[in-house]
Amino acid sequence: MSNIIQVEGLNKSYGKKVVLDNVSFSIEEGSIVGLLGPNGCGKTTLIKILTGLIKDHNGMVRIDNEEPGVHTKSIVAFLPDKSYLPDWMKPTDAISYFADFYEDFDKDKAISMVTEFGLDPHQRLKTMSKGQQEKLSLILVMCRRAKLYILDEPLGGLDPAARSAILDLIMNNYAKDASVLISTHLINDVERIFDRVLMISQGKVIVNSHVDEIREKGKTVEEVFKEVFSYAW
Amino acid sequence: MLGKLLKYEIKHSARYTMVIYGVTAIFALITGIALIANSTWLGVTGCFALYVAGIASVVVTLVSVIKNFYDTLYGRQGYLTFTLPVKCSTLLLSKVIVSFLWIVVSFLIMAATYLLIFLYAKDKSEGMLDSIMGVFAVSGLMELLPSKAVLIQVVLMVALLAILTILTYVGFVYFSVTVANTRPLQSHPKLFGGLVFFGVFFLTSSIGNKLTEALPLTFNVATDRVFFAFKNMFEVENVLLSYGVGGTIFSGIIALGLLFATGYIMEHKVNLK
Repeated sequence: MSNIIQVEGLNKSYGKKVVLDNVSFSIEEGSIVGLLGPNGCGKTTLIKILTGLIKDHNGMVRIDNEEPGVHTKSIVAFLPDKSYLPDWMKPTDAISYFADFYEDFDKDKAISMVTEFGLDPHQRLKTMSKGQQEKLSLILVMCRRAKLYILDEPLGGLDPAARSAILDLIMNNYAKDASVLISTHLINDVERIFDRVLMISQGKVIVNSHVDEIREKGKTVEEVFKEVFSYAW
Repeated sequence: MLGKLLKYEIKHSARYTMVIYGVTAIFALITGIALIANSTWLGVTGCFALYVAGIASVVVTLVSVIKNFYDTLYGRQGYLTFTLPVKCSTLLLSKVIVSFLWIVVSFLIMAATYLLIFLYAKDKSEGMLDSIMGVFAVSGLMELLPSKAVLIQVVLMVALLAILTILTYVGFVYFSVTVANTRPLQSHPKLFGGLVFFGVFFLTSSIGNKLTEALPLTFNVATDRVFFAFKNMFEVENVLLSYGVGGTIFSGIIALGLLFATGYIMEHKVNLK
């Protein structure tokens, strides 16, 4: 099976602060990967590089065998860790926007999901709660038939019941032949869905393992996470 | 994709500009009503409000060009814009076209408001015309207008200069905002954006002035003709406008250069916060 993501010798610094230090890894097509680490470990920077939001870095980054650019953006469905839709839009506007720019977007599915998840299709985003906006963003992303989904902290700021609903939304709607990269620090809620985990600490990948291998050692992902990041507490 | 980008660019930026254009339209309506109702106090008030709204249309549009560019690329909406499957050059082109159109529209609105004020005043007594012209300090302007024979040439020249000036402004703004959002400067984007804007402005202005001196070819509009000359024609009677050709060509090159530089930085150095 070929790799949807290939990263070799990736370095990124903010001034003197090294955020990613010679990071190398690859992700196979069709796998669900957890990108784990404490706050400030470099997860979001890595995701920004993968999605082409940061260009001034060193090292090789390939998505579907190409550098981040027009092609990769057409096959990557990206959910950032902040609300990124304009305030003036209504869900109907946002759906039209995605339908206009992404050929793989399923407009009918998005319309039905907006109603299904209790959102008013004609309510302006600026009058929506943060939770409602996050839900809409996730619906838009998951209604694409993308080759790769990159979700940055999709569960951040949600209560446990909402986390479960959001996880179900992700698992029930991603294209089954696609890959999913989920960045989170809420491991307990999501470890059941991972095929593989990448743990990043101080800019380095320190664990890159199949979840089955971890389980064979009689551990959970959360236990490994706590062992690895005990210093952070 | 350019068409779709233009559609959303217009939708987004219209939120800022349509409010002031709408207000201007209301004042125009009031002035029109005053004309029909023959109400002097309402007419003078409407004219004054129109005058202010005409200027405000341009100012608001120029500011909205800055705000719209920053919000949609380097604010949180940048996460959406920069992950669209389009080239940065196409993104930039859509923004240049829409900004250019809004600025042209704003100047046309300002011109229309002044025309309306003039028509209102003309419809009134000579005293009223003088009074309003006096208020706006444009008394005597009519006598300076060029003859019909050269009007088309004047319009073409002014249009060319307006296009260059607008493109230069857009280039300055886009370049400054983009440079201020690169990694070394993005801690204080407003401060550095302003510094870069005025820095580039003063640098290019001085180079433009030097070029005009080195190439003293001027393009001139007189009341009866349009002509080139190799000296400062403001000393000549009847010359209304005089532009240094060297400086104007340099402005065009700078406008294009700044836009290309902006596109390059967006493509290769972008670093969203």
